[in-house]
Amino acid sequence: MNSIIITRAGTHSTIQDFGRFQYQHLGVSPSGAMDQRIITELQKIIPNHQNQFLEFAYVGPSIKVKEGSVKICVGGNCNMSIQKNNNSQLECQPYKSINLFEGDELIIHNTIDSVYGYIAFEHGLGLEPCLNSYSTDTKAGIGSINRPLNDEDIFHISKDVSSWDLTSIPKPDLEKVTNFKVYPGPQIQYFSDNTIQSFISGVFTITNQSDRMGIRLKGESLISSKSHDILSEGILPGSIQVPSDGQPIVLMRDIPCTGGYPKIAILNEVDISRISQLPPETKITFDLQTIY
Amino acid sequence: MYFKGINSYGDRGLVLDFGNETSKSISQEVNETFLSISNLNLQSLNIIPSFNKIVVIFENSKIRDQNKNKISMKMKDTNSQTNKKVTKTWEIPACYNEDFALDIKIIQKLHQITKEEVINLHSSVRYYTYYIGFMPGFPYLGDVPSQLITPRLATPRVKIPARSIGIAKNHTCIYPKVSPGGWNIIGQIPFDIFDLQSSYPSLFLPGDEVKFYSVSLSEFEKIRKYNFSLNELIKEYSS
Repeated sequence: MNSIIITRAGTHSTIQDFGRFQYQHLGVSPSGAMDQRIITELQKIIPNHQNQFLEFAYVGPSIKVKEGSVKICVGGNCNMSIQKNNNSQLECQPYKSINLFEGDELIIHNTIDSVYGYIAFEHGLGLEPCLNSYSTDTKAGIGSINRPLNDEDIFHISKDVSSWDLTSIPKPDLEKVTNFKVYPGPQIQYFSDNTIQSFISGVFTITNQSDRMGIRLKGESLISSKSHDILSEGILPGSIQVPSDGQPIVLMRDIPCTGGYPKIAILNEVDISRISQLPPETKITFDLQTIY
Repeated sequence: MYFKGINSYGDRGLVLDFGNETSKSISQEVNETFLSISNLNLQSLNIIPSFNKIVVIFENSKIRDQNKNKISMKMKDTNSQTNKKVTKTWEIPACYNEDFALDIKIIQKLHQITKEEVINLHSSVRYYTYYIGFMPGFPYLGDVPSQLITPRLATPRVKIPARSIGIAKNHTCIYPKVSPGGWNIIGQIPFDIFDLQSSYPSLFLPGDEVKFYSVSLSEFEKIRKYNFSLNELIKEYSS
């Protein structure tokens, strides 16, 4: 038996996978990793990840091997180090597999010029899926673990590491994008041509009121010429909704299942991952695509 | 037929549009369509019905475009519109005891009626489940009798107890678990309506009919102690 203990949980550490689908009509959000590009890359290094990825934001977790040994890989742009069981410090890098032995502690200090990072564990973390997914929706209390991770959480990994060979991939090119191509949203006609023009030509700032549910932007006020109150309807991540204060919100993975604000535009899937990595105060712009 | 057409929702979504009005007959068409397209085994990630729209979400634009034709064909095929009735009719015990009826006085005052009248009115109607949303398993039921129509609370409550029955505008609801919310709370039901251990976790489904009947506090406590599973609740309280 192998086991790890979370010695420091970090600020927003949760278990995530590629999302929980087929339940949104019952009020269950899709959730899933904020930056799905990274867990897609990690699959190449830890193919047997069992869809149990640890997601962290800003301040990363510290993980100590309690028993046995584990093979892991970290993805994202972050500062980290290993405190070996003999007290020596070891440098380590994202996108390279890491073997950890009893007493070793992986310390992820923080993400650099980005928000989210991930850890893949060979053979997963010994968790059971909830509604066919390992993802955590902390607000709804749904998940293989239905809350953020806490200090002292322990995970048991029954299978042993298959091979000590170190594998790595070149650091993926996850370039920082601040100009986003968007498609017209279902209620774009709720906004006048002038307001749509302000949306396209304006610069919006990511605020610190942003989380897994949505990224709140600050910029020129986008006031609807019709109404900011629509009859609730199904919504999908990446939608840019505008409440009555005129400040747009980009809806993210822990999306409310239905929404009552007009949606001026919607991002494509990969741009949801891209925008999730932009820290507060980043300035962004939008380009409206007409053909979709 | 209220169906107006199919529109794109970004690069990977579709919106089936049933106009801008709301009514039980529009919702019935929406929910029948929801069932018939759910049975098409589309390569969709989610199919989400609401008052007058159905949003269908796909992984990418290619899969979306491949599946759009299947939906269009189904919508043109008027013969298949008559679906077998798979929805349920529920008789749900409700306790309107003052311990649970946190906001019943607001409704009494607004409509100048007694507590008994609120209870009799609320339990007199067979409600239609418009859709499930807001939080896991939360049913939007309607319509409440006109003497009960009440706006949402001016200041939403931070913590509404689990299983509370609420009224807002012309709808009534049940909160599956503790939540913040702005509905006027008038009672509580004695069992959970959302169970993650079940493969089909929501007790109510869009299109179900729900009628409440008033039970005493002691009857409420008695039912509460049974700890019914969803399957047992279906046997006990639906037809």
